[in-house]
Amino acid sequence: MENTTHFGFKDVATEDKQSLVRGVFDSVAGKYDLMNDVLSFGAHRLWKRYTIASSNVKPGDKVLDIAGGTGDLAIEFRKKVGDSGHVILSDINAAMLGEGRKNLINQGVFGVDFIQLNAQYLPFKDNSFDCISIAFGLRNVTDKDQALREMHRILKPGGCLLILEFSTTDSEFLKKFYDFYSFNIMPKLGEIIADDKNSYQYLAESIRKHPNQETLKDMVLNAGFGFCEYHNLSGGIVALHKGIKA
Amino acid sequence: MQHFVLEQALNLLIEKGSINLKPLDQKVVRFSLQDLPLDVNFLCTNNRIFVLNDIDRPSNVAIKLKASAFFSLFKGEDLAELLRQDQITIHGDVKTAQLLVDLLQSIEIDLEEILSRYTGDIIAHEAGKVAANFKKSTKHSSSPINVIKDGFSNLLINPTVSELYKNKQQ
Repeated sequence: MENTTHFGFKDVATEDKQSLVRGVFDSVAGKYDLMNDVLSFGAHRLWKRYTIASSNVKPGDKVLDIAGGTGDLAIEFRKKVGDSGHVILSDINAAMLGEGRKNLINQGVFGVDFIQLNAQYLPFKDNSFDCISIAFGLRNVTDKDQALREMHRILKPGGCLLILEFSTTDSEFLKKFYDFYSFNIMPKLGEIIADDKNSYQYLAESIRKHPNQETLKDMVLNAGFGFCEYHNLSGGIVALHKGIKA
Repeated sequence: MQHFVLEQALNLLIEKGSINLKPLDQKVVRFSLQDLPLDVNFLCTNNRIFVLNDIDRPSNVAIKLKASAFFSLFKGEDLAELLRQDQITIHGDVKTAQLLVDLLQSIEIDLEEILSRYTGDIIAHEAGKVAANFKKSTKHSSSPINVIKDGFSNLLINPTVSELYKNKQQ
């Protein structure tokens, strides 16, 4: 069927995926950071720190964080660009954006703009950003190729796209452990802590449906980026793709 | 990880030294050290440098050199002279190579100030003094490694004549 896409392991109508994903994040928004800490044993903070360090962002830069949710990347980008720069925290989900706004206020971070948007239709002029980041968000986007083309369009020449996302490990041992953990432990923890087993079942399934490192690299290059490299983190459980607009 | 560190260091130097990368915009320089496992591409764009492993397009210039020639360039040695001595091999656009060398030689940084961001002022000051001594010594020595060896040997065997020990006494 042409007009279907995947939502975890299920096939759903393309036009339904967005609202299904919204349902997941509406449900988990309040406990999102806590669950990330628990499920990744805190490693998500290191992965994000590496992403920020890899960004080459400097004072005065303009940065867009897509699917930025609770704002942990935006906070660090704000420190890097300083008062002369500009950071936009965006998410398709209003509840997640609300959590982000709350976090930034609680941490005394000002000067970040918030925009609710769909990554497939970015409401910005061509060549306007020095850096775009999307951390653990691309796999939830319905048309990833369209989103990557949009990101390419609004980046300046020489601008950098950072995609931090779950990926595929080559280690057989790690793969076995990870499969057991994500299909047995993660949904259980979701049920206990966030009172939501299904959303964490979806998380595990959506990771398996996400393109592997090489496929995603090809997608980035096909979207028009002149260069793309990726770095595996935690044995390839997570990968950071870095695309540069030529 | 090596590329990550290199990229961080170069961009920090460019930022601190207010270096203008415009003349090298969109240029790719392949840089290989013959006696060390370093073979990378520098992409200069948007006034910053990206260090890349593999690229699909040919580089504008490929520079092959020994580590000692690399240090010589930093100390202000003339590129033409190193080329004449066959210490450096350049394939491609020599003008781009010269621009990169000019850029490396124009970098003047306050090592203490940069280190202090990560280590705190006291450690950075001590490290800065050691680096300054090292830089001074290398002007009179052919091998930086020998200078380091001599420095530490002096410190261990006869600390009173060691520059490192003298710095501690100040």
